[in-house]
Amino acid sequence: MKLSLYLKDKRYIVILSLINFITITLILLAFKLSKDAIIVIDVILVFNFILILGIDYFRKKFFYNDLFNKIEQLDKSYLVLEMINKPDFYEGNILYQALYDINKSMIENIKIHEEQMKDFKEYIEMWIHEVKVPLSSLILTFNNHKNIFNNKTKRQLKRLENYVEQVLYYVRAENANKDYFIKEIDLSKVVKNVGLKNMDDILDNKVSFKVENINYNVLTDSKWLEFILDQIINNSIKYKRNIRNSYIKVYALESEDKISLNILDNGIGIPQSDINQVFDKTFTGTNGRNNNASTGMGLYIAKNLCKKLGHKIDIESKENEYTQVTITFAKNKYFNVLK
Amino acid sequence: MQKIMIIEDDEIITQELKDLLQNNGYLAITLTNFNNALEEILKEKPDLILLDINIPYMSGELLLQNLRKKSNVPVIMVTSNNQETVEALSISYGADDYITKPYNPNILLLRIMAVLKRSNMNSNKLIYHDLEINLGKGIIKKDDKEIILTKNEMIIFSYLLNHQNRIVTRDELMTDLWNNEEFINDNALTVNISRLRSKLKEIGYDNIIETRKKVGYILS
Repeated sequence: MKLSLYLKDKRYIVILSLINFITITLILLAFKLSKDAIIVIDVILVFNFILILGIDYFRKKFFYNDLFNKIEQLDKSYLVLEMINKPDFYEGNILYQALYDINKSMIENIKIHEEQMKDFKEYIEMWIHEVKVPLSSLILTFNNHKNIFNNKTKRQLKRLENYVEQVLYYVRAENANKDYFIKEIDLSKVVKNVGLKNMDDILDNKVSFKVENINYNVLTDSKWLEFILDQIINNSIKYKRNIRNSYIKVYALESEDKISLNILDNGIGIPQSDINQVFDKTFTGTNGRNNNASTGMGLYIAKNLCKKLGHKIDIESKENEYTQVTITFAKNKYFNVLK
Repeated sequence: MQKIMIIEDDEIITQELKDLLQNNGYLAITLTNFNNALEEILKEKPDLILLDINIPYMSGELLLQNLRKKSNVPVIMVTSNNQETVEALSISYGADDYITKPYNPNILLLRIMAVLKRSNMNSNKLIYHDLEINLGKGIIKKDDKEIILTKNEMIIFSYLLNHQNRIVTRDELMTDLWNNEEFINDNALTVNISRLRSKLKEIGYDNIIETRKKVGYILS
């Protein structure tokens, strides 16, 4: 609170008081009071005026400064009412009450939305679990009657499965709740599961799947990591080049404070103009436009999941040469101490 | 023949699962009355149970808890919920393994085989005619002669041996190899099988692995 602005706000009181002061002085002069008496009365008038304004100024200054400081300090500034003392002057009280009411109505509003989000999320999760039942029975039926169905059916089933998984993890990644469960897991096991899941696609596309130096333990949620890897490997298969020695190489590297998992392929790569946007929602880019199966969601969800798990995910690529995705896990010394 | 009980409330899945298991040499039975599931399990004495978590009357988890008070029969939990916490909980209730829907049928079969193998350790020793097979060392012995198999060749041979007299598809062999972290391609599988054949020939077993065109292989 600035004194100059405060005084500007109180200008009518200042002007009226000045007129008041001059009028009283003139009246006193008209009554022919001694000069000394007039000076004493004037000094008292001026002193009282300053005192009244001063007290008012400091009471308000104390409250408003406190309010704004705390708003600045809090990262959730809407909680500021919990932090300040109720003001002891009337206008402040009005402001305080107004803020309180606004806050309350806002919180109620957010609560309604949160409930709706929660219901929606629960419904989606339930729906996904239900849709997996007919999906499972389709896969089993396909497997038992391979003479009737061909590999196209299998590919469509795989696509269906992947889209269902994407929805599930999208909901999990967007939601504020902690659905994950972090523990120490073996990278080779995750890579094996993802490899098995994509085995048919990898073999059908004549891509060789190389896994090297993968025996590390990292702290993560294995199901989430499987989904992330699945998206990356799906892309590697989808965007392979038509050359004879296509490969996907999965390997890990360890440094002092982190372990990185790398997925390298010699596919068509990503144009420089697109590389910074591949993690953006629904971004499909040049490659996606040439491939109608692209939704632009896989890497976006993968990035969000990494963010929640506290892993770093990066991508580098050179067109017509390679693409490499790197997931970096921090080593946690504290966890080792606890063990 | 080993008896596997399917506890699952979806009729089509139950039927297809039954077909799958029977095609793979197991005796598959289904639970008909969910009302007194526990009694029926104890009466049927299966060698393994495939237990779905979402079943009528009581949840699979509860059934498993009650079952564990009375029996140590191996149980593989099946569910469409793929959360890490649900898995950890199932294992803590005494499940031997956990698989999520939709699963790859070949992988389900591998898991069943692994759990069954763990539960009766004595069948660990593999024997084929007069051959003595050492899985861990990758050695096959006949009298004083022996051949050394690579890891891949051993995986293929033991899979064929576990499914003797039945056609084994390339897909099944491939799944088992990848499940053992040997991520080979089609050509490599062909090469591995022909090497395995020539090694077996060295000890006098010629043409025991037959090729069935467009279907797979059979160990006679």
